[in-house]
Amino acid sequence: MIDYFIDPILRAPTWGCMLMCLSSSLMGVIVFLRKKSLLSESLSHASYPGVVLGVAFLASFFPFAEEWAFLVVLIGAFGSSLLGLYGIEWLEKKGKVFPDAALSFILSVFFGVGIVAASALQGSHPSWFKQVQMLIFGQAATMTDIHIVIYGFLACFIVLFLIAVYRPLQAVLFDAGYAHSLGIRATWLERSLFSLLLISIIVGMRSVGVILMSGMLIAPAVAARQYTNRLPIVFFLSGLFGVGSALIGHILSVEGSLHWSTPESRFSLPTGPFIVLVSTAWALFSLCFAPKRGVVFRLARIFAFRLRCLQENILKYLWKKKSSSSKDLHSLHRSSLFSLHWVLRRMVRHGWLQKKCGSYELTGDGYQKAAQVVRLHRLWEVYLTHSLGREVERVHKNAEEMEHILTPDLEQRLTLLLANPKKDPHHQPIPDKYSL
Amino acid sequence: MTPYWDCNFFTFFIVMIQRAFFFLTGHAEALASDEIQIGVLSAVAISCGMIGPFLVLNRMTMLANSLSHTILLGISLAALAAGLLWGGEWFDITTLLAGSFIAALLTAFCTETLTRFFRLQEDASIGLVFTGLFALGITIVTLYLRDVHLGVEAVMGNADALQLSDIRLPALLIGINGVILFVFFKQFQLASFDRSLAQTLGIPVGVFRYLLLFLTAATCIGAFRAVGVILVLSLLTGPYLIARLFCCRLTALLVWTPVVGVASVCIGVALSRHLLNVHGLALSTGGIVTGTIALIYIFVKIIFHFRKKWQRALFSV
Repeated sequence: MIDYFIDPILRAPTWGCMLMCLSSSLMGVIVFLRKKSLLSESLSHASYPGVVLGVAFLASFFPFAEEWAFLVVLIGAFGSSLLGLYGIEWLEKKGKVFPDAALSFILSVFFGVGIVAASALQGSHPSWFKQVQMLIFGQAATMTDIHIVIYGFLACFIVLFLIAVYRPLQAVLFDAGYAHSLGIRATWLERSLFSLLLISIIVGMRSVGVILMSGMLIAPAVAARQYTNRLPIVFFLSGLFGVGSALIGHILSVEGSLHWSTPESRFSLPTGPFIVLVSTAWALFSLCFAPKRGVVFRLARIFAFRLRCLQENILKYLWKKKSSSSKDLHSLHRSSLFSLHWVLRRMVRHGWLQKKCGSYELTGDGYQKAAQVVRLHRLWEVYLTHSLGREVERVHKNAEEMEHILTPDLEQRLTLLLANPKKDPHHQPIPDKYSL
Repeated sequence: MTPYWDCNFFTFFIVMIQRAFFFLTGHAEALASDEIQIGVLSAVAISCGMIGPFLVLNRMTMLANSLSHTILLGISLAALAAGLLWGGEWFDITTLLAGSFIAALLTAFCTETLTRFFRLQEDASIGLVFTGLFALGITIVTLYLRDVHLGVEAVMGNADALQLSDIRLPALLIGINGVILFVFFKQFQLASFDRSLAQTLGIPVGVFRYLLLFLTAATCIGAFRAVGVILVLSLLTGPYLIARLFCCRLTALLVWTPVVGVASVCIGVALSRHLLNVHGLALSTGGIVTGTIALIYIFVKIIFHFRKKWQRALFSV
């Protein structure tokens, strides 16, 4: 395991992947918060012709400089994705094209041009063509130490830039108008952010590949957003998740290649799909199980609230009727018979209800709880009529909902405000707090 | 030896028209590979051009992009299932259609679930779904066939190795698209322009959205042998954007979009032959067709830009 970090051959791809994914997952937060995640998809595809043309240029003029190919790739990719960015803006503003149509048009046109250039390269320089093809799905295995230095430098540059412009960035991300009034030059910041986005895309391309690059920008940011509301922590977590999934994905692809290849045929799995699979899986896990925002906890909260409402409604009904069979309760509440029985049994177990010859009655505890619910209901009715001036006929429905929501603190304040009323607007007695 | 072996850009068309004339007057010869290519690509362009306008109008092109990626997973799942159940083949027509159906359902369902149920913003959920599913598809294909090459080919397509039998699927899809769009034209039109009116009139907008997605997935499959999953996007959006520059009625657009698509296919193939015969460059025809679409867009845009100035100059004199 430790070999992946220090072994002279294995360490370069590992560190390379981690650094690349660090920069892309940090920039991903920005595009995610600006709701422009799909822009990264278009731009990463738009970089492909630049990659091919750069390599073709090198292959025809400096055929012996193969180890410097990646620098040319970086420059070419930056140029063509910048062109793609201008193309998208031009189509949206001058061509009055819908944003999504502009994105997909630029994406496919640039990729098509890239394919034409790649087929030209395939005819003239087959060995260089292989290098370009590797960039489609990412291939980290052939990286060397010099790559780490360059990619590490770019990743550090992105991190430092983000730290340096953090304050204005925060203002621009959340409230562009406010940022403008503060005297922040938003257009300048925007341009540099877009260039950084392009850099992070072309840096990540080597390990994740042109096609899946946008996944690496989106997934860590989505996962990080689930855990916190604070921007610096979102950045930190997103970077962490990006680095983590790069590491795991890379190791999986290396182990997978070893496992699946036979002595006769060497078989190397592309890195990109594995990294993206790991980060997507983590994003899905976070969407489900993140505390507070995760869907499981949200469903649990909804379920608990529904359960409380049903219980309180049953208590209130029994408080009025004294005793009732489960059939009556079922006709009153629109819940299934099974869940009603489950709730009733639960309430019996809590000691709020007791069953007497097939019908349910309140116990002492249950009576107190029921009276509390009725008290909240009627207090709210009084508040609506006296303080808000609602008509008496229209207050019941709202109070039916509010009785489940009012907290003890609110109840106390209502009691003080209304001078502890004894009767509600319908002239029904309000159960006294101290007699409960 | 094809009859087009030393044609340049212009003589290509002359030879093509000559041969078409001979063909129509009964002096039928065997189809040349170039004609097969034009035929298949035109069929793809027509089937794309039929649903392209609706996709753009419903702002669903990025969803179509995501579909064009996820069909890879759909096909591989369908092929795995078919292989397990009745020993089916990869490029069997039932497998492909089943795959497109699976892909359309998977993509639409996952994206909707993420936006509605998980409360994720729409762009992020589209991006998350298609990259995840595509990565899964690539992994399955790579492990199943022990070859990365098919993945690359699915992305890029191979327009230069088409056979006459490849035209069947796109031709079938022209039929399917044509029939469904003809039958439900009113519903599609309403749902694209005024969703709420369509809903008040009792049209199940969601069902038609899914239907459109299914048609898109099927069309992508028809195209993916020829031009690959990414270039099909340019055939879906490009001809519509070009046609939109000079006409603005939906019925006219539905005629013009396939016409523009076929025109760009013909010009693209002729250009590719020209480059091959005159300059000795063997280039990917699918890519050239895409480049041609972009060039035509720029060309038409410039013409219509200056046309206003010319008109103004003429009328002011």
